[in-house]
Amino acid sequence: MNAGVRVFAEYHRDFEDVCDVVVVGSGPGGAVVAYELARAGKDVVLVEEGPPFTPEDFELDGALSMARTMREGGLRTTRGTIMATMQANALGGGSLVNSAICVRAPEFTLDGWCDEFGLEASTRADLDPHYQAIEDFLGIAPTPDDVQGPRNLLFREACDALGYSSEPIARNVRGCVGSGECFNGCRARAKQSTDVSYVPAAIEAGARVYTSLQVQNVLASGSRVWGVTGRVVRPFTEELGHRFRIQAKVVVLAAGCMATPVLLQRSGVANGSGQVGENLQFHPGVAAMGVFPRETQPQFGATQGYQSLEFVRDGYKLETLWAPPGVFAVRLPGLGFDLKRSLSMIPHAAIWDAIATCNRSKGRVRARRWGMDPSLRWRLDPKDLTILVEGLWRLVELFFAAGATRVLPGVHGLPEEFRSLDEARRIRSREFRETDFTLAGNHVFSTTRMHGDGRFGVVDEFGRCHETDNLYIADTGVLPRSPSVNPMLTLMALARRTGRQIAARV
Amino acid sequence: MLGWIVVVALAGLGFRRFSLGYPARPVGASTLGAREIHTVRIAGRTIYPEGGAIAASADRAGLALHADRFVGAQTGKNRILMRLLLVAIEHATLVFPAPGPRGWRRFTALEPDQRLAYLDAWRHSELPARRLVFVSLRAILTMGYFANPEVLRSLGLAPREIPRVVTEADLLWPAVGEHPQSIRFTRGDLTPPGDARAPLGPTGTIHPDYR
Ligand SMILES: Cc1cc2nc3c(=O)[nH]c(=O)nc-3n(C[C@H](O)[C@H](O)[C@H](O)COP(=O)(O)OP(=O)(O)OC[C@H]3O[C@@H](n4cnc5c(N)ncnc54)[C@H](O)[C@@H]3O)c2cc1C
Ligand code: SF4
Repeated sequence: MNAGVRVFAEYHRDFEDVCDVVVVGSGPGGAVVAYELARAGKDVVLVEEGPPFTPEDFELDGALSMARTMREGGLRTTRGTIMATMQANALGGGSLVNSAICVRAPEFTLDGWCDEFGLEASTRADLDPHYQAIEDFLGIAPTPDDVQGPRNLLFREACDALGYSSEPIARNVRGCVGSGECFNGCRARAKQSTDVSYVPAAIEAGARVYTSLQVQNVLASGSRVWGVTGRVVRPFTEELGHRFRIQAKVVVLAAGCMATPVLLQRSGVANGSGQVGENLQFHPGVAAMGVFPRETQPQFGATQGYQSLEFVRDGYKLETLWAPPGVFAVRLPGLGFDLKRSLSMIPHAAIWDAIATCNRSKGRVRARRWGMDPSLRWRLDPKDLTILVEGLWRLVELFFAAGATRVLPGVHGLPEEFRSLDEARRIRSREFRETDFTLAGNHVFSTTRMHGDGRFGVVDEFGRCHETDNLYIADTGVLPRSPSVNPMLTLMALARRTGRQIAARV
Repeated sequence: MLGWIVVVALAGLGFRRFSLGYPARPVGASTLGAREIHTVRIAGRTIYPEGGAIAASADRAGLALHADRFVGAQTGKNRILMRLLLVAIEHATLVFPAPGPRGWRRFTALEPDQRLAYLDAWRHSELPARRLVFVSLRAILTMGYFANPEVLRSLGLAPREIPRVVTEADLLWPAVGEHPQSIRFTRGDLTPPGDARAPLGPTGTIHPDYR
């Protein structure tokens, strides 16, 4: 058998395995836990449904890339308020396709978590050593100017002009060449996604990694779990093959905020509180395009290189953004020659976005009768909508401050483009409906949230299920609510702590 | 008797509307049927006509075959939804007729300016669900448009070549679908850590697939 990562071509029959700890999911949560446990000398099996990708496997065509790397082909949406949301299906999970943004959650946010959710050891001071360790391991550092590219630097100019704070985004990259292709996967192998960082380190420390295995059930008796079962799945299809069973002293679910509740609900485990799958939260985002007199060469530069945390306490964060043109062009106005005119402005454009905390907007995840895809329901609260509108307004303000000659807001009911800030003021006076926006939310939280009291949450602050002694969760589902900023680094810090806690107990 | 005549007449009309007069499925298509490909092609010509600010048209950019590949790359449920979307666009003229004479004809049978007006009505509709259908259709076509090398080159957006870096991960697994025996790298191939790499820029060599 391959000593590295076991892949689809190697499964020829049903099989069983036994280990100390089985970790389900190799995204930022699962990979960190697996590494910590393997390093502590535990016998670890890391199970991942998606395949591992080589740079040659990355599609440069955004549509086909999405269909290969994302669950439900990248077309997953919520019901209630319709919003697109993407979860990866690959070794490395979301870290393979994300923009590598690594930000510590602000102190006030973590204090809020502790106060509201009965947590005692999750202040910024408690998490700082874990944040630091992850940052050191992954080489996380602010994006240097030489890979910012004009569209990121224009954002800095805009913030300076308006007196808003701004900073280069800290990212988990080594040797980024500014290809702006993070969404498709990093051909330069610069992004330190967990497949190329924590997973190899876990293997080096003795972990076994099985890919193309879909875990379908957690095996439980009484208040303990004893393993997982599932089927082999052919990459890029839903075709199920051989069966497997892995027995373990401890099970860690890190299948992501959408998939972990589905597994628990299907297995009838850890849900005496009825909280599994509840409290679903997102960071919905709005984006606008500014057009500048000079060329911005927008495809060059870090995918997301600059941010402003000026308004984080007001509930939103501003960032630069780039994505495959075919993906973001969905928001551009027009049809026929008008659409072509909009698209022809892209070489002079920058795209910036606002992501909002939206703590009032909640939803839920439910297992479907068939298959593993979740049924998602979520509704944007009207007060949170006003925060998104405020975020949009700030983006427009920033664009004009940086010298944009027109801004395309991409919102139904607004003009297709603004030629001046004065024209754009109507954003603030107009009443909007949630359906006026093309929303997307790729940061998801809280469906198995941590809480000091087992009646109101699924896990304690170390990730251990209140009801099931040897079952842990280590994905963004455990965040009690939004971390106010991009979640990956906070999840990794929590996962490191969870891994160490398990190592001390097994 | 009269009832039967009406039923047979309606069935005939339905058959004609839904099945007749479509060109054969183009060579290379494997997922969408002839009718669906035709709908994509005509929608493509309406949304991305020949000429204008970007020269390439939908036909030249190969949107129909790209849509076929995109739908083919999706899992079961999405394939059904996308095909339903195409049926909706083609036949919703019965519910939302296009302006002008015989606006209830199927979308692909309308006159070019009727098609434009018909799609524009979807785009500006006050019904969010109708707007969503339009946005989804345009998304499928736009993703195809931006997959085309000529379009990307004309906007200076063609991907650049990036030198292959070999890391530990490249020793651990093969390309998707392959057996580990096909891993072609050894420790000796590893790129030394800290090897300086120049940021990409407009003077970089265009990726071979986009030249
Ligand atoms: C396009 C995009 C850009 C983003 N950009 C950023 C960013 O720059 N910074 C940031 O902080 N956050 C970003 N995010 C969010 C971030 O990537 C996620 O919050 C993070 O990946 C969540 O980690 P996780 O471990 O909880 O879950 P995931 O990363 O989703 O990992 C879960 C893993 O479990 C696997 N799995 C699921 N079900 C099963 C099963 N039944 N059996 C076996 N395996 C299973 C999945 O395939 C997946 O690999 C982005 C997300 C997306 C989609
Ligand atoms: S911008 Fe390009 S080179 Fe840099 S991390 Fe993202 S994909 Fe890799």
